[in-house]
Amino acid sequence: MSRQRLTVVLSQAPGKHPAKRSLEESVAAALILEPGLDVSIVPNLYDLGPDHTGRLYLQGVTGDLLVFSWHFPRAAFWLLDRMGVPGKMGESLIKPASDEDDTETEPPEGIGSGAAIPDRHIYCIDLREKHNAEPYLAEVRRIAAECRDRRDEAQRSRPAAAAPLVQLGFGLTPKVPELPAFTPEQLLAPPNRRWYPVIDYSRCTNCLECLDFCLFGVYGVDRLDRILVESQDNCKKGCPACSRVCPEQAIMFPEYKTPAIAGAPVGEISGLKIDLSRLFGGEEKDAVSQAIAERDRELVADGRQAVGTAVGLAKRQPASPAAAKDDLDKLMDDLDALGL
Amino acid sequence: MADPLIFDMGKYEARLPTELRYCRNHMWCRPEADGVSRFGFSTYALRLMQDVYFLDWCVSEGASVAYKQQIGNIETSKAVSDLFSPIAGTITSVNSEALKDPSIINVSAYENGWLFTMTGETLGTMTASEYVEYLNTNWEQTQRILKGQMHE
Repeated sequence: MSRQRLTVVLSQAPGKHPAKRSLEESVAAALILEPGLDVSIVPNLYDLGPDHTGRLYLQGVTGDLLVFSWHFPRAAFWLLDRMGVPGKMGESLIKPASDEDDTETEPPEGIGSGAAIPDRHIYCIDLREKHNAEPYLAEVRRIAAECRDRRDEAQRSRPAAAAPLVQLGFGLTPKVPELPAFTPEQLLAPPNRRWYPVIDYSRCTNCLECLDFCLFGVYGVDRLDRILVESQDNCKKGCPACSRVCPEQAIMFPEYKTPAIAGAPVGEISGLKIDLSRLFGGEEKDAVSQAIAERDRELVADGRQAVGTAVGLAKRQPASPAAAKDDLDKLMDDLDALGL
Repeated sequence: MADPLIFDMGKYEARLPTELRYCRNHMWCRPEADGVSRFGFSTYALRLMQDVYFLDWCVSEGASVAYKQQIGNIETSKAVSDLFSPIAGTITSVNSEALKDPSIINVSAYENGWLFTMTGETLGTMTASEYVEYLNTNWEQTQRILKGQMHE
């Protein structure tokens, strides 16, 4: 049996939320008593900057990982991917309630994570799902067993030719990597609040509409022309406009108040709380006009001109009537027809 | 000081001090010296939201804001909401105590639980009795909005 342990990381809620804090404490207390786990607590995952000890710790975890946070699992998983903590998506039985009628029939085919995916699983559990520690503890045990079985299976299926080497003492069993050692105080150093989009690459089709729409230079492309959140600190606090224009709902703001933007399973309306924005002075708009209003507001706040629908929405405008074909079009058609 | 007016919300009575002015977005407004006014949530708003868990402003002190511009958001035991500026003007200060521990908003809605101060014209605000009338007129529709959302 493999000696590798399951690493469990609990990401705290931002702010002082008595109910959330107390759940965090009881889950942590239960987990620490559980054998075979490495348990750590970090501040809100979303706020961990590149140099934060909590983030370095997460990056140092090479084996299976289970993360509890106050985010939808989809948001937490892709947030980790963005932070340099990639893996295969593990499926927890504790997940947002799914309504058969609402489930999406054909999810888009995304371009996938840009990172090399190591052979380990990452499970993300939303702490808003259950209100006491017991169900979480039971699920941690189930996941720990699942990971153990998977590792044992992988070891059994290793080529037999490798066996003599083991006898020679070279040891093909992967060496258990040491987890980086940080004190709980280092891990829990309070980060500043941050605000930026997180891309779900399992849905992102690289259409680049977000790149066209955002006028603050948040998005860019990598060497392979894949979209990425390049300058996250350019992002305007509270503004989720790009998420609204994304045709595949692949852009999440994990801490936005409406579930659809915060990374709830696509196609479901998980009405966790009533939205009083209309009573408090907000107006209801469709997604694109809302996105335009949000973007204009941020442009004006930056001392720039509002652009309304003029910029970055080309693909959403009604198709213009096809102009008469000119000679060049004919040439292209003829070339296409040759089937070269 | 005159007795506060009461707006009846089912079993709950929202207490509305008469020396304050009220805004359509359910904030109270207390004009102070030098054209600065202090704002906070009316107990009507707090009854709808209940315990405030998390409060965040997306504008800083010194920011000029338009009427109805989004300035922050809030999460409570019952609701989430964007928060909008009650008037046009400049935010002069925000209550940092309420940011650190938002429960103060529930404990002391009209005093220590204030939200922010800002300069700007407050002519569009209402007296307590005008606010009660406004609430009465909108109470049925408000209930419809609330119930509608619960059934979505």
